[in-house]
Amino acid sequence: MITLNINKKNYNIDVDPNTPLLWVLREHINLVGTKFGCGVAQCGACVVHLNGEAVRSCVTKVSRAVGQKVVTIEGLSENENHPLQKAWIENDVSQCGYCQAGQIMSAAVLLRENKNPTEQDIDNAMAGNICRCGTYLRIRDAILLAAEMQRKEKK
Amino acid sequence: MENIENKQSRRTFMKSSTVAGGGLFLSFTWLSGFVTAVPVGEAPSGDWYELTGYIKITPDNIIKLINPNPEFGQNVMTSLPMIVAEELDADWQKVVVEMGPHDNVKLGPQFTGGSNSMRMYWRPLREAGAAARQMLKEAAAQTWGVPVDEVTTKASMLLHEKSGRSGTYGQFSSKAATIPVPKGMKLKEVKSFNVVRNSKKNVEGEKIISGKPLFGLDYKYEGMLIAMIEHPPAFGMKLKDFDATETLKMPGIKDVFRQTLYEDGFEQGGFDTRSFNELLVVVGKTTWEVMNARKKLKVTWEPIGDTLKNTMGGRNGKTEITVPGELETTTKQLEKFKEYAAKPAQQLRRDGDPETAFKNAAQVIERTYNAPFLAHNCMEPMNFFAHVMDDKAIVAGPLQAPGWSEPTLAKLINLPADKIEIQMTRMGGGFGLRAYGHYIYEAALISKRIKAPVKLVYTREDDMTYGIYRPTYTTTYRAALDANKNLIALHVKGGGIPEHAIHANRFPAGTIDNYLAEGWRIPSNITTGAFRAPGSNFAAASEQMFLDELAEAMGKDPIDFRLELLKRAKENPVGRNNEYNADRYMSVLQLVKEKSGWNNSENKKYSRGVAAYFCHNSYVAHVVDMVMRDGQPYVERVTSAADCGIVINPDAAINMIEGAVVDGIGNAFYGGLTMVNGEVQQKNFHQYRMIRINEAPKKIDVHFVQNEIDPTGLGEPPFPPVFGSVASAMYKLTGKRFYNFPLIKEFNSLNKA
Amino acid sequence: MKSFFNKHSYILPRRMLMVMFVIIIVIGVANSAFMATSNAENLELQQKKALDSVASVKAFADVYSVLMSPRCMNCHPAGDVPLQGDDSHPHAMSPKRGKDGHGIYAMKCGNCHQPENTPGLHMPPGNPKWALPPSNMKMVFEGKKPRELALQIMDYNRNGHLNKAQLIEHARDTLVKAAWNMGEGRKPPPLTYKEFVKAWDTWIEKGGYAPKQ
Repeated sequence: MITLNINKKNYNIDVDPNTPLLWVLREHINLVGTKFGCGVAQCGACVVHLNGEAVRSCVTKVSRAVGQKVVTIEGLSENENHPLQKAWIENDVSQCGYCQAGQIMSAAVLLRENKNPTEQDIDNAMAGNICRCGTYLRIRDAILLAAEMQRKEKK
Repeated sequence: MENIENKQSRRTFMKSSTVAGGGLFLSFTWLSGFVTAVPVGEAPSGDWYELTGYIKITPDNIIKLINPNPEFGQNVMTSLPMIVAEELDADWQKVVVEMGPHDNVKLGPQFTGGSNSMRMYWRPLREAGAAARQMLKEAAAQTWGVPVDEVTTKASMLLHEKSGRSGTYGQFSSKAATIPVPKGMKLKEVKSFNVVRNSKKNVEGEKIISGKPLFGLDYKYEGMLIAMIEHPPAFGMKLKDFDATETLKMPGIKDVFRQTLYEDGFEQGGFDTRSFNELLVVVGKTTWEVMNARKKLKVTWEPIGDTLKNTMGGRNGKTEITVPGELETTTKQLEKFKEYAAKPAQQLRRDGDPETAFKNAAQVIERTYNAPFLAHNCMEPMNFFAHVMDDKAIVAGPLQAPGWSEPTLAKLINLPADKIEIQMTRMGGGFGLRAYGHYIYEAALISKRIKAPVKLVYTREDDMTYGIYRPTYTTTYRAALDANKNLIALHVKGGGIPEHAIHANRFPAGTIDNYLAEGWRIPSNITTGAFRAPGSNFAAASEQMFLDELAEAMGKDPIDFRLELLKRAKENPVGRNNEYNADRYMSVLQLVKEKSGWNNSENKKYSRGVAAYFCHNSYVAHVVDMVMRDGQPYVERVTSAADCGIVINPDAAINMIEGAVVDGIGNAFYGGLTMVNGEVQQKNFHQYRMIRINEAPKKIDVHFVQNEIDPTGLGEPPFPPVFGSVASAMYKLTGKRFYNFPLIKEFNSLNKA
Repeated sequence: MKSFFNKHSYILPRRMLMVMFVIIIVIGVANSAFMATSNAENLELQQKKALDSVASVKAFADVYSVLMSPRCMNCHPAGDVPLQGDDSHPHAMSPKRGKDGHGIYAMKCGNCHQPENTPGLHMPPGNPKWALPPSNMKMVFEGKKPRELALQIMDYNRNGHLNKAQLIEHARDTLVKAAWNMGEGRKPPPLTYKEFVKAWDTWIEKGGYAPKQ
């Protein structure tokens, strides 16, 4: 039995400690916003925050998360009101939508570490997340918009 | 020239007519026990009064619009209900949208593909909305005792101006539901639209950004097990024997067994394509446990040899095809291309006397273009849920064509179609692959066998190496010029594995006096199928790349050259059955020329390429602006012009075009699947390069031709012309013409050499 | 020329250099990469026994073959993006070095590279210290000729500020050892770890000489 702290809640789970965090989230805790895309850390659909870092849960053993703080898309904000979530809606970014949770979770780390990212910063931060529908231009714009919202909120 | 803009081509007609049944039916039942297709669970419970299959209203004026068509990112969940809301005069802000169940009788053809959603549903949905509005008006008129013509509607409200009476749609919904269906309702003037032609946000946007369960992989069912399939390591191989002793010892594993998909002699429908027929199935409790247990399988495979495939339906009726058993290798396939290209081929169209024109030519330009297999690589790997019981079955998951899969499914699990409930989840991409139902059948057969609800899951490796790929193609263009550099003849001859990509009646057919189109095919065991604008994607690439080179040889501007040809097609077309409208073709070229500042000197810093194409009923042209960045070609800007008739949801339409441009650049630059002895060499994204954000343009500027022509689709049409525009820009950038996709592979190998 | 024996370095007088060349058996193979210390004369005496430019340079050839193998070079790229695979192509998704070498924003090495190798073909290899050299000390291997690389490693100001003892110790570092724990589907370096350590130690102990080219 291991204990995980996910989105500020504790969960006791009976699972092989080598199981990737992704599958624990999806199949043991029923948080399915974190997606399975490639299973080999190439696409970014499975990004969650482990102590604030945008780890790829498909290659992160659940044992690495024990005693740490995990945040998934479901816990990114209280009421879907993270600036990125608002900006994603405002720019109507999604097409199929499958990759977008991972995109937002990656972008959240960028925005925390860089309040005023350039397009180059965004490309540097987001090149690990594949969007098969090709919504990259809207992702860029939404991140810029979210950064602006975030700066205004702080004022 | 024949104007085909609102006619279905014969092929599409045949496809949709097989599923359309009698088309749209309006039905009037007091269905309150409606089965929710996907676990959306937002609509409040209570009495729903059904005003046509697409509209349900509660007495407290909640209006639910049913989206009939599977959603794979083309945004039909939003844009199709917008059409209903428009004619219904519903307050868009307050409508609830729900994915419909599979029900071809109530909800029409329900097919996502061929960029057909808008074309298929434009009229039926308008008629449904207008009929329901009329029924509500009549209910109010009867209640109020006023003439129905004096009742007006606005934002889900009924009004009688003279008496000052008003009421909500909800108040009259129960009465309206008893009124007979009016027919032939007058539809709104396009100019008076206030929902359609206005940008509306994705109705599922909030669920997407908050990680709600929407997709097939998110689907849950009490007692559900997980299944995976171990498939042969190569095309041309099949399962011989296996030892599952170690696998069965692994935690969570329930069963390992061999499952045949189609028994001998089974007649496959056109969309029943499958890569491998003998499946080795591992069933267990969780995905991770099954993934791990698969690694412990001891399996032997053997060459399958030549096999017979029985097909039914489709263009050729019942046929029996011999599928060769060869273990294919990409380099050998390319050699075969050369060999076949030299042989006589099937004539597809002939105008004038091309042979004589070539004989008399002052100059002949001949170029050959090649393109590899492409994998769809939908972000959500293939998966499907099935619960097959003795007397009924529930299947749920991502699929584009429930109506095409259902008959086969019914045969395979031996249940009547009306005992099979198909639920359509949101799809994490489709691109054509999810029109093929094999993974649904696999899931259902597995469930039937183990007598339990089960979700079949493909890993990314399964998805990539067990695919129904875009075929590999080759096309040779030859042009004859006279001494004054006039184009006097054109010859196009193409082939592929297993089919060619020649559309003989498309532009530039009809613009050249002497024209010959020919095609040939090489049969193969590698499974292929629809991939975003099937056939068209490569037809456009090779044709537009050749036209660019031809324009240069003739000393003409590439846009002006195309416009000249189109002028000929408009004024004095050659031959019949030219499958395009020259005016609309010209309009996108003129628009892209203007909006891209084609001749502006400030754009000289870019290497520019242009291409235009018409397919799937819409016209699109792109100008790409390329630069060299860190030693690699980079498309920095794109200007796009499209004519898809009325643009239902403009911002979403722009999104589609932006996405198609990015996808096009990605596939033109990087896309490609290769084989060695039947084994797919690219097994995951570390080997199959996908375009990433740092390779996407900085700007894509999208423009629409404004008109009031009935809407056509945008899923496919913006994709094919990307390839030619990118290749032509690469020529401007490097001074070298490129003929082989993926272009970056050719660029890098030329650079090394 | 610079020394790695302490933080101060200076140019050796030409005459001393010549003396050293005479003392040490030189058959036209090498220049020494480190020549002296602030306490030059004492050391010179000590080194008389140990220094052997021929053996040193010979050992470095082995060292070089390892350092330039994908397992080492891929994380010592010329640019700010690591290399990947046995063909040393630029790392997919272009992760950037970042100031501390651990990547930037959502693209930090540890987001994919776990403390240990992830099992499976082409899965991310792992190590607790997985990173590139930091941006102020890039320690580039890619594209370096043997002589350049030897001089760089011996240069206290370009080798991560390692003195001789620390350099010797560096071969025992867990991240260096990780080159031989490369994960499935990757070629190991051309020498065994033991052979590498022997060559490394010999190269340095015998004088840390740089080959001519």
